[in-house]
Amino acid sequence: MTAPTAPPQQQEDVARPNFTGWVRRAANAMAVPAGSVIFAILIGAVIFAISGNDPVLAYQAMACGGFGLFCFGGETPALQIANTIFFLTPLILAGLSVAFAFRAGLFNIGVQGQLIVGAILSAIVGIRLGNWPAIVLIPLVLLVGIIGGAAWAGIAGVLKAMTGAHEVVTTIMLNYIAYNLLKFLVVNGPMQAPNSSAISLPVSQNAQLPTFIPADSTFFGQPGGVYHVDWGLLIALAGAVIFFFIMRRMALGYEIRAVGQSQRAARYAGVSVRRTIIVTMLISGAFAGLTGAIMISGGSLHYLYADLANDSTGFDGIAVALLGLNSAIGVVLSAILFGALHAGGSVMQSDAQISSRIVQILQAVILFSLAANFLRSLKLRLPGPGRKVAEASGEEAVQNEFQAEVSSAATDIEGKA
Amino acid sequence: MSEQPKAAADQLAVDMRQITKIWPGVVANDHVNFSVRKGEIHALVGENGAGKTTLMNILYGLIKPTSGEIFNNGAPAQIHSPRDAIGLGIGMVHQHFMLIPVMTVGENITLGYEPVTQGDFYDKARARQQIAELTRRYGLTLDPDARTGDLPVGLQQRVEIVKTLYRGADILILDEPTAVLRPQETDELFGVLRGLVQGGKTIIFITHKLREVMAISDRITVMRRGQVVGHLVTSETSEQEIARMMVGRDVLLRVEKSEAKVGPVALKVDHLVAESDRGVAALRDVSFEVHQGEILGIAGVEGNGQSELVEVLAGTRSSTGGQVLLGDRDITNLGARAIRSAGVSHIPEDRRGAGLILNYSVADNLVLGRQRSARFTWRGIVLRLQAILNWAKRLIQAFDIRTPSPEAAARTLSGGNQQKIIVAREMSGEPRVLLAAQPTRGVDIGAIEFIHRRIVEQRDAGAAVLLVSAELDEIRSLADRIAVMYEGRIVSIEPAGTSEARLGLLMTGGGREERAAG
Amino acid sequence: MNFILQLLHLFVSGDFWQLALRNAALLSLPALGGVICERSGVVNIAMEGMMLTGAFFAVVAAQAWHNAFFAVLVAAIASGLMALIHAVVSIRFHADQIISGIAINIGAIGLTTFLNAKLTNFQGLPQVDPAARLPQVTIPLLSSIPFFGEVLFQQNIMVYVAIALLVLGNVLLFRTRLGLRLRAVGEHPQAADTAGINVYRLRYGAVIMSGLLSGLSGAFLSIGIAYIFNDNMTGGRGYIALAAMIFGKWTPWGAFGACVIFGLGDALAASSGTLNVTQYFYILQMAPYILVLIVLAGLVGRSTPPAADGVPYIPEAE
Repeated sequence: MTAPTAPPQQQEDVARPNFTGWVRRAANAMAVPAGSVIFAILIGAVIFAISGNDPVLAYQAMACGGFGLFCFGGETPALQIANTIFFLTPLILAGLSVAFAFRAGLFNIGVQGQLIVGAILSAIVGIRLGNWPAIVLIPLVLLVGIIGGAAWAGIAGVLKAMTGAHEVVTTIMLNYIAYNLLKFLVVNGPMQAPNSSAISLPVSQNAQLPTFIPADSTFFGQPGGVYHVDWGLLIALAGAVIFFFIMRRMALGYEIRAVGQSQRAARYAGVSVRRTIIVTMLISGAFAGLTGAIMISGGSLHYLYADLANDSTGFDGIAVALLGLNSAIGVVLSAILFGALHAGGSVMQSDAQISSRIVQILQAVILFSLAANFLRSLKLRLPGPGRKVAEASGEEAVQNEFQAEVSSAATDIEGKA
Repeated sequence: MSEQPKAAADQLAVDMRQITKIWPGVVANDHVNFSVRKGEIHALVGENGAGKTTLMNILYGLIKPTSGEIFNNGAPAQIHSPRDAIGLGIGMVHQHFMLIPVMTVGENITLGYEPVTQGDFYDKARARQQIAELTRRYGLTLDPDARTGDLPVGLQQRVEIVKTLYRGADILILDEPTAVLRPQETDELFGVLRGLVQGGKTIIFITHKLREVMAISDRITVMRRGQVVGHLVTSETSEQEIARMMVGRDVLLRVEKSEAKVGPVALKVDHLVAESDRGVAALRDVSFEVHQGEILGIAGVEGNGQSELVEVLAGTRSSTGGQVLLGDRDITNLGARAIRSAGVSHIPEDRRGAGLILNYSVADNLVLGRQRSARFTWRGIVLRLQAILNWAKRLIQAFDIRTPSPEAAARTLSGGNQQKIIVAREMSGEPRVLLAAQPTRGVDIGAIEFIHRRIVEQRDAGAAVLLVSAELDEIRSLADRIAVMYEGRIVSIEPAGTSEARLGLLMTGGGREERAAG
Repeated sequence: MNFILQLLHLFVSGDFWQLALRNAALLSLPALGGVICERSGVVNIAMEGMMLTGAFFAVVAAQAWHNAFFAVLVAAIASGLMALIHAVVSIRFHADQIISGIAINIGAIGLTTFLNAKLTNFQGLPQVDPAARLPQVTIPLLSSIPFFGEVLFQQNIMVYVAIALLVLGNVLLFRTRLGLRLRAVGEHPQAADTAGINVYRLRYGAVIMSGLLSGLSGAFLSIGIAYIFNDNMTGGRGYIALAAMIFGKWTPWGAFGACVIFGLGDALAASSGTLNVTQYFYILQMAPYILVLIVLAGLVGRSTPPAADGVPYIPEAE
């Protein structure tokens, strides 16, 4: 039988970018992640109630910590917002890193390791070249971070392209190698600061990203140094713009997405799948390395510490990317949410006596309902999936329907300007 | 529409009454009445999408009908799953084999009905014994310990057949069994089928190849657009009558075309050698030339190297020997992108897998392959979205691609329109050489005529067209010269108008003595 | 050079290899679970979360009922339930199995830490009392053999359980009818379906089994090795088990081999006391991971999972 044609839509005048059409499509695509979040909030309320806590109080505390709203424990709203920004900044970049690889069909689970390598190189440059002028040093610090992360991910990319080694395994291995490298340097190692344990020297003042609120001022009743909002935020947002530009406005992005959709079609189109895999991992690693650089040059600590190996930014990035449907704007919005959850969680713990770990449970619920929801809506829309089982070679045997739907949703969000 | 008087109910191995199946938006089977007598070979015929496979999937329990009843040997049958069907003695050999390549023949045959020893251990010895007995009884040969994935297609099909016999099938449904076979394998299959019928089995044979219907079947049911449009007795009908029923009008088999204005050699292939995916030799020594302004058809049964030939010429497969010249430029193994920009366009065999990215928009698909060209990018780096859109709108109109918008996902278009995207794209760059591999496979009649006309147009505009098709009619109606491929070689190049008989002979490896003599 | 000598001393000491085998056993349980699960066609990257869940509930049960074996049972059930969530979401709702797996991992950290804080009012669970610990087993006579006696025959009971399960798993997967069907479902579910095999039931069973095994491993960790529960105590071991499964080409003994390599690495870490922790210690720690990379690059090459791994089975074809 002939497949049904698409449901009737008005012929859109696409000579100029159609804003309302884009908004409609984007809203459609975001409906499911938004629905997942709402669902999670409801589940959270149930969990709170069951465990004997007041859900309203809990969410109020979270809203306070996340967005500075409805604060009742004497917190400064501006500070809460600043905390959220502090958390979400690296999450944006980590999410972009994972999302970029996902678009090519690659699962980069090694963001934390790439982040660490980037942080290490940034720290080295930031300490050794500490008396260089800031205008040169800061870009340099960021640059070496980018290069470090890119190279680290590149190893996995090359292995995958040349030998077919599964990137999940190789990036996990590289994570552990990076953790050990970090510990080697910082635990009684060459980079350990004198008279301290498991931390390095801080990078010089010149290497630090300028903050928006000067340390010696007072802002909303708090000393300026408490606010950790720095240029890292702008860099992260710039990163999102660059992500969008590469993916949607460059031939490279077209090819990367093609490889993620169908390696056979990509080959037919003259794309070198191997080269694309390597380039994708390099760029993905670049985002991850930049994350590390920003954590050193910006943030609150400005030094390497062994416990960076247990930091969860890299893994949170995976959740951020998935909730953001692997698109630039989605990642940003998703990072805001996760950052707010993180900040809100600690206020919730101090004000409402609820373990901040409830936040992770909420994250899990969001992801579950996201994953399940998608396919349910997919079944309703198409007339019977009618997919034949994998007949092609094992390597690209299947286009996971979910990934297909995600990518088209990501496309909808990114718009067709 | 001729109705045959129903035979007595208990002589009917299968009796399906008023079967209807509705998918959202499509009626796949519309009050279908279908019956098969015991001990006969019954052909179920129709074009792609007529509903034949759906009907048989219902009979086999893979799909539940929206309404209707099934009777088996006179008794009403409740078939809710393949296990029910198997219990009634119905077995099915699918078009796409339900075989597990990494497992052995024995494991595949016994799957689901495995003999076991104590403690659930798989009894390999007993399986072997049972299979040997079956194959002996029906005159087949199979090695139960062979790895199924390594077997040639004809033998894999045999595994499928023995699988149904192992489960005690009396009624065998075969879905397009000859689509993947070479002519002598087809003959072997027919021999097996006759042997099975002699052994008391009943056979239902789904196909759209009319020649085979005439050769092997006793009675015929014709379907079109989900409905039964005719019951025929093979000995009393003809291919033409069946075709007319299938399509609903007299089938136009010839395309209007003028004499070819042949120019100089555009594409020259010299002693080309290449391997298939399995590492086996696919092209052994292929040489030919295609001139500007002509259509060279490559005829041959699938699996003789045609696919690999097109892939090598298009640059998606490397050759291991020989040369390909475009004009006087050596383009051997230059890679797909370089070859495309040199002016070679490629309509691939695998529409959905290679020729399109289903989740990309129609517009994005219309530039697939040219995503780095100066026309659509600034210095090969940044995309020119407006240029791409204009290009897409132009092509959509020129090739009558039915889509609500250039931004619609390609996946939402019908098969025929999807193929039109590919055809539009490949024909629009004023190619010097057009490689068309199975350009109308799975496409409805209206689109077929359209595509044929366009191919002729390209020829008349001076392109050199290489047309590879498994449909002999398509080759004979379009090609100016016909090259026949057999086992990785061009065995002969015949002029247009060569008889089907002669082509068929060459396609199966014969006829060479005549040529040597003549 | 002193360091090299000390290292060599370590490599010939029975203590060291005993430790390595123990660690290998710990990892091989979830790895075996992963093999079974993925062989049926369901991707499982949630071993980490399921292991952590098992570890937590084992300690809770140990505290409540002071019985090690009962605690193990509780742990297995808890992880099995986690796995059931993954199964339902993946099989019934056809969700992306990687996302589901990640969700479980995140959720498990949240759940166990949250409950740990909630149940003990932020104090944390106390040490497991000796009555509720998984016992060491010393096999008479054989354990007196020099070197091998210590390594092979003086181990925690769970090590023997793990080895037994590996043997069982291998036989099941490759010699029995059930294993044949399981693998068929993972390679070509449609073929299995048309052969009348219940694809869903087998997949559910496989996923839950992987949960049970991961739970066993978690219990081993918390009441057999560490004797306490710390937040996020699995520390990535579940991901290592995942890597071991892939590295072992989805076979039980292959995965075990990889687990031995990783177990050696862990043992090296634990032996840091006997070595002067010189600068090169952490470099040495990298060894197993680098080794895996090299082998993957050179010998193993293309890892081919079961053909239908990760693909939700949606039967009604056009």
